[in-house]
Amino acid sequence: MAASDKLMAVGLSHHTAPVEVRERVSMDETTVRRTLARLRSEGAVDELMVLSTCNRVELYGTVNDEEALRSFFGEFRGPAGERIDPYLYWYREREAVQHLFKVASSLDSLVLGEPQILGQVKEAVRLAEEETSLGKILHPLARRTLSVAKRVRSETDIGKSRVGIGNAGVDLAMQIFGGLQGKKAMLVGVGEMGRQVAQALMTAGLDELLVANRTFERSLEFAEETGATPVPYDRLQDYLARADIVLAATGAQRPIITAEMVRQSLRQRRYHTVFLIDLSVPRNIEPSVDDLEEAYLFNIDDLSQVVEEGRKARMEAAAAAERLVTEETDRFLESLRTVDVNDDLRKVMQTAEAMRKAEIERSTKLTRTLEPKQMKGLDALTKALVKKLLHRQMMAIRTAARNGDLERVQALLEPWEDET
Amino acid sequence: MERLPYILVIAAWAYVTVGHLLPEVLGPRLSERTRAVASFAAVVHVLALVIGALTSPYPVGLPEAISSMSLGLGVAYVWLARRQLRAVGMLLAPLSLVLLGTALVVPHRSVAALEETGYSAWLPIHLGLIFSGLAGFAVSSVVGMMFLYVRRNLKEKRFSAISRLPSLEVLDRFQFRAMLFGFVFLTLGIGAGGAWAAASLADPWAFDPKIGFTLLIWAWYGAALQVRLVSGRRGRWTALFSIVGFAGLVFSMVGLNFLLSGWHSYGG
Repeated sequence: MAASDKLMAVGLSHHTAPVEVRERVSMDETTVRRTLARLRSEGAVDELMVLSTCNRVELYGTVNDEEALRSFFGEFRGPAGERIDPYLYWYREREAVQHLFKVASSLDSLVLGEPQILGQVKEAVRLAEEETSLGKILHPLARRTLSVAKRVRSETDIGKSRVGIGNAGVDLAMQIFGGLQGKKAMLVGVGEMGRQVAQALMTAGLDELLVANRTFERSLEFAEETGATPVPYDRLQDYLARADIVLAATGAQRPIITAEMVRQSLRQRRYHTVFLIDLSVPRNIEPSVDDLEEAYLFNIDDLSQVVEEGRKARMEAAAAAERLVTEETDRFLESLRTVDVNDDLRKVMQTAEAMRKAEIERSTKLTRTLEPKQMKGLDALTKALVKKLLHRQMMAIRTAARNGDLERVQALLEPWEDET
Repeated sequence: MERLPYILVIAAWAYVTVGHLLPEVLGPRLSERTRAVASFAAVVHVLALVIGALTSPYPVGLPEAISSMSLGLGVAYVWLARRQLRAVGMLLAPLSLVLLGTALVVPHRSVAALEETGYSAWLPIHLGLIFSGLAGFAVSSVVGMMFLYVRRNLKEKRFSAISRLPSLEVLDRFQFRAMLFGFVFLTLGIGAGGAWAAASLADPWAFDPKIGFTLLIWAWYGAALQVRLVSGRRGRWTALFSIVGFAGLVFSMVGLNFLLSGWHSYGG
């Protein structure tokens, strides 16, 4: 009865399968197109969408023949030639919808809240659309999936805070500057931690990165790798005034950036805000720098605190997003159900209309004697009669469908089923 | 003032205010809804003011002036809602609500100068400019308070309190723009008042405490802009100038008219 009961999701992901298996199943665009065409022409599915990323390969379809799907996956082999069935998950109807919503909202991703997955889902939808393999279930499902993902992104903080010390630095920079366009940063010392933060800032849109290291050769190396501008270490004071963001991460045993240096640079830069991160232990930036009006200094513990709070916020956001997905899943299934009875109701109307026409045609004795005008009247009268009689029945079916009472819908529709 | 449209506007602002305080009550898509409701309130508010001005038996006065200031904040809310400064609306909405409530209860009074000049088209121009300026200063001080709040939390390394608030630089830029807006309009408003006085009062230069005090505040804001533009000191400096300046303005608008006698004191 419900058209959605054929809906299934089959696939594997980083949760169930190691990369050695995933890479063997992974499909490029051509393979996706071929799969869409093949499984439909074989009759295994009516509608189909294939989502293939480096973390997952999933088929979403209205399935006629599960065995055909099993044998499709049976063609793949693991690295040791073993079958891949143990890595597969099979979701049906409600679970399938919910899974797709979660995937697109990045709730199933390796990095919770990462934004790429939505683009990959869009691509999967586009391919399926071009191969005309989306129909009356998958089409609305795909559309709803994209809107759910957008809702999750805009109404929860899932995409906001990210993991890692580098991103914590970016978060703080955003809290201070609102954006990194037109901002310059200076990295003092090219240790691993400084590198991480500097690179995260570059990715987030930093304008220019200066790098100063005690041994100039190492800053040159670093500059070559990252596109930073090397500056001489002994002219720190001069370059300090140009940097909106200062990252200190050297092995020096005492502060190399003093409050006096920052005070001077602030005057030079006309009191434009400066954001300093001290990643080193022992600390490289005098703590009293933070007492300066326009200087905001954070040490490694402060950054860890941002990381920790980001983690907590993501957990909360994830819980909120899960609730949203569940709610949207219910709504989607309900909307499918309503679509379902629309078709059934149309069929009922057609059956009734056919019966009416047949009845009139049978009454040739009567109709022969009628003028065209009277004939029209008879037609209108019988039509109105059929409509009136059917009206209550239709309303009852609609109400039952809205309440999700499938048994009642079925019972009400039973007398109208074809007698074949 | 005609009450019915204002009750609508008040209801709309109450909805927006509650929405910000208790987001769960309004459910999803909060920001879109509050913005729609606030836009609706602003439109009704404009109509109410225009109709009120055309049909009122009195010349426009303090209630209308306060009401248009509330409207100014409302427009600022709608404008900010689309930008990174949505959180500022949390403060603007209740402020707009309180101002409008005040506008509805303050009695209509005529000031001393009006008895000499009679009604003139200068009156709405003078009031309109001054209160637009006031709206700008109000927005600036509200944004300034938020700036100080965010700044303090950053200095004290408390991050969760401010994770949803705008960034320091955005707040700073905006408190400055709102202040500049206020300053331009206050200047024009004072100028309009002066021109009007020169044209219609027998002794336009007689000392008036309100004018004196307002000129002081005008100079205060002038100094604030000066410090920012010339020495480059901004941020907390601008915020403090803004908050103190606005407190002075409120005193000038509410207190001085009643306390002292002069052109702007309320006549019988």
